[in-house]
Amino acid sequence: MARLFRLWQKKRGDRRTGSNAAGSLGEALFFAVLFLLGAVALAAVLTSQLSEAPHLSGWSLWLVLLVLASFLLIGGAGFVLSLLHFGASAERRSALIRRAGSMELIGDGVASSPGYPSVPRDVDLTDSPGTVLEYRLPVVQSPVWRVAASAVFCLLWNAATAVLIVLALESYVRDEFDWLMATLAGVMFVVGGWSIYHFVRQLFDHTGVGPTSVEISDLPLRPGQRYEVFLAQAGQMSIDSLQVMLVCEEEATFSQGTDVRTETRRVHCACVLEEPAFTVEPGMPYERRCELIVPAAAMHSFRAAHNAIHWKLIVRGQPRRRTAFERTFPVIVYPPARVATSA
Amino acid sequence: MEPLISLGLREPRPVYFPGERLSFEYQIDAVGPGELLACEASVLWTTMGKGDEDLGVHYFERRTPADTEDGDLRPLRQVEVILPKSPLSYCGIIVKIQWCVRVRIFLRKGKESFFEQPFQLGAVPPPELQQVRVESSSTPDEETVEQ
Repeated sequence: MARLFRLWQKKRGDRRTGSNAAGSLGEALFFAVLFLLGAVALAAVLTSQLSEAPHLSGWSLWLVLLVLASFLLIGGAGFVLSLLHFGASAERRSALIRRAGSMELIGDGVASSPGYPSVPRDVDLTDSPGTVLEYRLPVVQSPVWRVAASAVFCLLWNAATAVLIVLALESYVRDEFDWLMATLAGVMFVVGGWSIYHFVRQLFDHTGVGPTSVEISDLPLRPGQRYEVFLAQAGQMSIDSLQVMLVCEEEATFSQGTDVRTETRRVHCACVLEEPAFTVEPGMPYERRCELIVPAAAMHSFRAAHNAIHWKLIVRGQPRRRTAFERTFPVIVYPPARVATSA
Repeated sequence: MEPLISLGLREPRPVYFPGERLSFEYQIDAVGPGELLACEASVLWTTMGKGDEDLGVHYFERRTPADTEDGDLRPLRQVEVILPKSPLSYCGIIVKIQWCVRVRIFLRKGKESFFEQPFQLGAVPPPELQQVRVESSSTPDEETVEQ
């Protein structure tokens, strides 16, 4: 009984400390009450508005109608969903979702490769032809946003500092010197100077490194197969070391209290190319070809709601007297081509 | 008395490969014919490990007494399924994928019971741990959940 009627229960995802049936019933009752509350209140408001002396007018009327209509919709939809979930097993719900996903209109949004359930599609990777090899891989995590954020901070901070300095100078000219304002302006001036230095350095690093381009001979990748990779590094700089790595990472998303955490673990990292110090001349990208071997025992790419396995090529460079850079190029690994024919 | 679900793979093998035929049979005992409201058999994969559970159903059938001639869901039933190309069974560090055949029965008074038989799809060996990176997002309020 205590399990059924415990006042406070804890719930994480589909698991809860109390009875599932009682929880689902409570959920359905909550939405039913919300629906009834919305329906009754909405009817009352509309009736009163139609009477001779309406109580609400203008934006307040629309606000009340909007809130009550949202009660009605959320309560109704929640109640119907609770009823659908009540008594249906996880397998049945999953089968229903799968069947709905296979319908033509809904199926467009499904991210799996055709014929390979839970393997991400490679459409985004194969829509850009390469100049040397078959496909040019898209890069993720461009550092442009860091430069942009740094620029915005630099501009806003220094604008505020300039205003404060002008006010401090004005007070000095009027012989009403405000030491507090002057001190604050001095501190802000120092921070503003640092922000300019940081922004210039970020801009220098970003524009100095130049774009990295990776092309590959075929996609999707298959375990045990060999592929050709073409790397082009543009810019004007000296690089102390450059590596291209084939990396596999597991990614798990989980709820911890009210937090949603994502943990990533690198489970495979193989160096595909390692270059010693070299110099990139302007207009003459540094180009290299190398061979990529996908391990025969590699797990294929996988994507579900809370778990994933990602494969990627990572280009990591260490320019001379600059910050190291790392650029990521996702790839898709399919399961081995072996399929039983004895069925 | 708890109902008894007998579930077994026919011609069991340590490893099944995509495209192969998986054959299983199940039977329900220790329960009266009128007690069984429905019976579900499914071939599915689930994730285990650190992340919240994901589940994907490859094959699913639900039978009720109305689906049988004599209204009895208890007799032995055989099912054959062609296995899909993915996802393959995998025992990673924080992501694990396990395939199984699951039979779930629904009894009167809202009771239900299930039994599952795991099997291996594909032969992907476990990886070795190399590097960890944790990213977190969201609210500072934390609580623990009893399981």
